[in-house]
Amino acid sequence: MLADMIANLGFGLSVAITPTNLLFLMIGAFVGMIVGLFPGFGPAAGIAVLIPMTFGLEPTTAIIMLAGIYYGSMYGGTITSILINTPGESATVASTLDGYPLAQKGRAGPALVMQAIASFVGGTIGVILICALAPTLAGFAASFGPSEYFLIIFFGLLLLTTMMGENKLNGIVSALLGFVIAMVGVDVMSGVQRFTFGSSELIGGIYFVPVAIGLFGIGELLYCVYIGQHKKEVKRVKLSFTSSDFWPDKKDYTESKYTVLRGSIIGFIAGVLPGSGATIGSILGYSIEKKIAKDPEKFGKGEMRGLVAPEAANNAASSGAMVPLLSLGIPGSGATAVLLGAFMMWGLQPGPMLIINDPGFVWGLIASMYLGNMVLILLSIAAIPLFVKFLDIPYVMVLPIVVLLCVIGTYTLHFSMVETWMLLVAGLLGFCMKLYGYSPAATVLALVLGSMAEENLLQSLIISGGSPSIFFERPISLLLSLIVITVIVLPVVLRMIFGKRYEKKAL
Amino acid sequence: MKMQKNVVTLAALMTFAASASVVQADNGLEGYPEKTLNYIVAFGPGGGNNLMSRTLVDIINQYDLYPGQDIVVENRAGGSGAIGFGHVSRQEGNPYFATSTSGNFISTPLISSTDWDYSDFTPIGLLASDAMFLVVSTDSDYQTVDDFVEAATSGRILVGGTGAAGPSRVVASLFAEEAGIEFEYLPAGTGGEMVTALTSGSVHAIVANPSEVSGQMEAGNFRALAYSDQERSSVYPDIPTFSELGYDFTFSLPRGVVMPANLPDGVQAWWVDALQQAVETPEWNAYLETNSLSGNYIWGDEFGSYLESTSDVYEGILREIGAIN
Repeated sequence: MLADMIANLGFGLSVAITPTNLLFLMIGAFVGMIVGLFPGFGPAAGIAVLIPMTFGLEPTTAIIMLAGIYYGSMYGGTITSILINTPGESATVASTLDGYPLAQKGRAGPALVMQAIASFVGGTIGVILICALAPTLAGFAASFGPSEYFLIIFFGLLLLTTMMGENKLNGIVSALLGFVIAMVGVDVMSGVQRFTFGSSELIGGIYFVPVAIGLFGIGELLYCVYIGQHKKEVKRVKLSFTSSDFWPDKKDYTESKYTVLRGSIIGFIAGVLPGSGATIGSILGYSIEKKIAKDPEKFGKGEMRGLVAPEAANNAASSGAMVPLLSLGIPGSGATAVLLGAFMMWGLQPGPMLIINDPGFVWGLIASMYLGNMVLILLSIAAIPLFVKFLDIPYVMVLPIVVLLCVIGTYTLHFSMVETWMLLVAGLLGFCMKLYGYSPAATVLALVLGSMAEENLLQSLIISGGSPSIFFERPISLLLSLIVITVIVLPVVLRMIFGKRYEKKAL
Repeated sequence: MKMQKNVVTLAALMTFAASASVVQADNGLEGYPEKTLNYIVAFGPGGGNNLMSRTLVDIINQYDLYPGQDIVVENRAGGSGAIGFGHVSRQEGNPYFATSTSGNFISTPLISSTDWDYSDFTPIGLLASDAMFLVVSTDSDYQTVDDFVEAATSGRILVGGTGAAGPSRVVASLFAEEAGIEFEYLPAGTGGEMVTALTSGSVHAIVANPSEVSGQMEAGNFRALAYSDQERSSVYPDIPTFSELGYDFTFSLPRGVVMPANLPDGVQAWWVDALQQAVETPEWNAYLETNSLSGNYIWGDEFGSYLESTSDVYEGILREIGAIN
């Protein structure tokens, strides 16, 4: 198997390493970072907008470039999460939890370096795992039916509670708000419209991107104005490669050495399962890291491990998502769905035969992802002083620019004014949530996961004729059910045995 | 090589430029076109409608079928096509707007209160049809549609498809009615979910678009039992149609071009002629092949009646399953 893997990767490298392919790989990676940097302008939109520019290229070159945009945006997306608490997309929501507090503590430099390293390790481990496991994992993903998906998503929803912060009740209210927003639109099961009030704009439901940009981007800006940050003197952040506080210290490396490995593997598994992808991967990465930490109270206040875990996870997940895409033709996220569209545009038929019919394309693409991660780590570390300059700009100037970027980013998604208004409403809501201690992250993630959970639950029950036995009869479902039950029951049992002492530690 | 290609293109260009000018004279359409054409895509980039629209516009440009003027393609997505199609319908009488139809062109006005339906447009032509396969796993016991019908009469059968009220559901319902059987229908959110429902053994069969299952069929994992179009697919000539197997129904989605209503005289005929040339090109045939569509073309007002009958069948099924009142 190892020999196969090396042979495949070598063959891929021979395809990927041509001057043209390398050039477009670098362009893709760079564009991806920029795409990730703009709040709201996520990889799906970035790839879609740039597809027309790749006409005239060889299919492999074009896809190498588009894939570069895809995983490059995972690097760029975190930079805004750390610096201005505005995740460009749902996969970097978890990175704000500790990334932004780190920047506020004056550790923006180390945070950016560590996220680049975590992204690189996550992405690279992901690519190695693709080579090793692609054929096997394809079969694994194919045996997942609605009941298995429901249990995975349900598990993700349970883990949401670990990122709700101090006030659990407010967190649950925030998540329920997300579920309510997810209810809008045509019900996939019955075809009946829910909460559309006869508006044709709402048939397709409320897309999470305007809501996420509003809650995080606009909401954060309004809050900063409210607390008077625009009147404060700008404290210049001086960062250069030579200054001692630019590089992470020894403690950062030693503490997060296993975090990055755990995050990568969790993220990769989440990425392989279609429909879960980088968002669930990053939440799982963060939550599990917090759960197993001896000092979970440090998380959310600027803990390096809390940034490294979701970063390694979302990059590994973006590689993992290539497995069902390349082996089954099943896209796991919006961005991979657009990539799938691009494959078909070049006459590459996604499905189990792709790897047999076009091995040069498949292995060339995988090898290019390996090279792309190397380009990106150099690019992202070299450009950190540039990104940190963002913090030097007076707030009165940052504010209108970010509002403008948020509005443009939202409008260009579907050229919809209704979504642009949704952004502004979500912005006001996000401000109030922040003011009264609710959790915008819980709302956005519930919005993304809620409709998936509902759909898969109903599908499972249709299959079983209404009996919940489906969650225990299928072998993988049984395993997942046991894990879910353990997660729910174990803390209760432990509390009964060890009393209050355990409860305190767990929180 | 490149030079040679250019020469061929140039020759083709001249031929078509010549024929286009003949058309203008025939229809007494002096000076058309004299403005930029706005080609509206009612969906976002990345989907099937966008791909068809951009392929078609590329062909029109390449062969200079819209002589002397530009075509601007614009994505106006939202509300399952309601926004973009609505925008075109409001350009009544304007011969410089066009859009591509797909399944939602028929279904969106039926399930929501739009201010337009298919009859508010000038039909130009059906350029491709998107029919459905009934698909089972290769290791399934059902070798033919008859096997499947027999199993459905004696036990509980689950059939998957995309959407509760989408074309998969329509084909499944028409088939059940014709065969006199009943089965449970499992709506999946996307084509990918539907495919995994079959690979994971959650359902016995799926009603799928050829492009959604062609990879799995080629790999030998899936077997198509029947096809819902009037004729066999040009890409899959071995797979029989439902009607030749004795299940008397056909259903396919119209992938065509429509323009706003009440156009000046001759514009409809001008475009029918231009698009008849477009579908003859190797590029269009390559598009059909890659996306497993069949090219049974229907032109002008005949396309209008086709849209009407498709809409009627669709509406009947949606009423039957309770998606609309």
